[in-house]
Amino acid sequence: MRIAVCVKHAVDETELKTDSAGNPQLKGAATKISTFDKNAVEEALRLKASHSGEVVIVTVGTPEAKKSMKEALAMGADRGVLVNADPMSMETRRTSELLAAAIRKGAPYDLVLCAEGSSDNYSCLVPPMLGEQLGLPYVGYARKIEVSGQSARVERALEDSVEVIEAPLPAVVSVVSEINEPRYPTLIQIMQAGKKPMEEVSPEAILPGLTAAPSFVRGMKAQAMARKRVVFEGPPDETAKKLLDALASEGVLPR
Amino acid sequence: MAIYSAEHRRLMEMFYPAHHHEYSEVLTSLGGFMEKEILPISPKLDTGEAKIAGPRKALLEHGMCQIPFSEKYGGLGLPFSVYANAVEMLGTADASICLSVEIHNAVAEGLSRFGSEYQRKKYLPKLLSGNSLASFTLTEPASGSDAGTMATTAEKKGSEYSISGSKMFITNAGEADLYLVFAKTRKGPSCFMVEAPNPGLSFGGDLRKLGMKGSRTSEVVFSDCRVPEGNLVGEEGKGADYAKEILHGARIIVAALNVGIAQIAYEKSVAYARQRKAFGRSIAEFQLIREKIADMKTEIDAGRLLYFYASRIKESGADYSSEASQAKVFATEMSLRVCDSAIQIHGGYGYTTDELHRHWRDARLLTIGEGTSEVLRMLIARRELARSQ
Repeated sequence: MRIAVCVKHAVDETELKTDSAGNPQLKGAATKISTFDKNAVEEALRLKASHSGEVVIVTVGTPEAKKSMKEALAMGADRGVLVNADPMSMETRRTSELLAAAIRKGAPYDLVLCAEGSSDNYSCLVPPMLGEQLGLPYVGYARKIEVSGQSARVERALEDSVEVIEAPLPAVVSVVSEINEPRYPTLIQIMQAGKKPMEEVSPEAILPGLTAAPSFVRGMKAQAMARKRVVFEGPPDETAKKLLDALASEGVLPR
Repeated sequence: MAIYSAEHRRLMEMFYPAHHHEYSEVLTSLGGFMEKEILPISPKLDTGEAKIAGPRKALLEHGMCQIPFSEKYGGLGLPFSVYANAVEMLGTADASICLSVEIHNAVAEGLSRFGSEYQRKKYLPKLLSGNSLASFTLTEPASGSDAGTMATTAEKKGSEYSISGSKMFITNAGEADLYLVFAKTRKGPSCFMVEAPNPGLSFGGDLRKLGMKGSRTSEVVFSDCRVPEGNLVGEEGKGADYAKEILHGARIIVAALNVGIAQIAYEKSVAYARQRKAFGRSIAEFQLIREKIADMKTEIDAGRLLYFYASRIKESGADYSSEASQAKVFATEMSLRVCDSAIQIHGGYGYTTDELHRHWRDARLLTIGEGTSEVLRMLIARRELARSQ
């Protein structure tokens, strides 16, 4: 079974600072493998353990993204393909086009796995776009994947229910973090990951005739969210009721 | 909090411009492991609600102890400073596990330097992979740094040695599979490997300690404990020299451990000072609290630089005994000052909360263990006076 896993070298949202206007300072920001991508890598490795085969990491990023690719390789992936481009300067459509081109170049794959979204932008748009670009069925927000023969049975975690979908392979599946607990690569695996094959390709090499993207990212702004700072005073049974009423009026709880 | 911090990363960049990316990858991964698997259970190890064996084994299996040893025996072959940095991080995550692991690795260091090729091949892969746990047994009820006065004996009987006597305040005693034992033969203090179980090997109860409560400490008793003559490490009569050499390296490691303890006490203090209000404002706005924070941070950074400096001299192959002792004396006394300030900043909560005062209790061991501050000041002065002649 050949599995491609899309991994993003993301801004470390836990270390991200904002300027005086509240805008994220992306220049020089700390980076890391997108948190949820580790769940996708883990799931691929588990499927490989059951069905044998190969796990290939596909990344669109600057050469710095090799750090995240190495982490995925240390977890146990077999090799990596880096499309050399800056994903922070492009919007999701171009990212998905480049990922799709790299996946087509390395085809055939039985499964393409992604996280539900990246831990920095979290637009959740790349996986469905990727399905469209590749002309493959797309199943999103998987909390369980079982592969049998040429089909996958996928449990989707929806807001108030669980949906079970059977999809023919190959398919694109995005996973949620509850699907598994990503393994820690040991220190020896980290040291050895650098020796695994990492191919670097240019966007032009995999998408000949590439023209400027129809849309691009001009900048990012943080949306200010003022807290309401409501304080309920009084004995606990009264304040609890006031809190429940307030949550219901805000739509957090059903009335 | 990131256990592998920006300060660590900068030091790696400064000391290892050609390899810092690789070293930082290893330390970042280790830091992530500690944040998730060690730091959260640390308070429970202090109160006895959690046991050390599981997390310690997981840490050893992750590769913590492989860092400074040769790849030939299952190590990573990385510089000693990288290992010292990892120890500081572990000191931040949990001091008891750090103490236990530090002792374990001191045995591996001894075998690596003074053991025969047969002994290295037999023991090191098991120690470095976490399949075995080791214990270092030097101190006795009536002798410590004055190893020459030890009362434990090893008598040659045919193709075996018979070891008799007792060792005191031994970390990992009763849990370890392998004991590096110092005992006197006719030629003087010598060094042996004793594998457990052994009919001549027994242990006292777990000693009640002020701190480091997660690790086990007890007496080790040898009663006609027989080991094959091949378990002699190095040459007979050279045990005191070996012990000294092992302890010089271990002193750098103890310094790193104390910087780690001070670091977590400092971080808790900064967070508390920001959120605690007095007279209508955060206590972090008061000058006298700021003075404490400034002094704590300055001293922690100084301790870190001292252990890095000693580590780099060790890596160069030059004599580092004075620098190792300087780092240990400064860092152990510094961490007591920092932890004391942390209690002061936390006020009544500092005095009454295990979660805070355990750091002072943990740090308190280490101006005593592995060479007291008093003995090490004698060593530093002796070495520096000799150098200036």
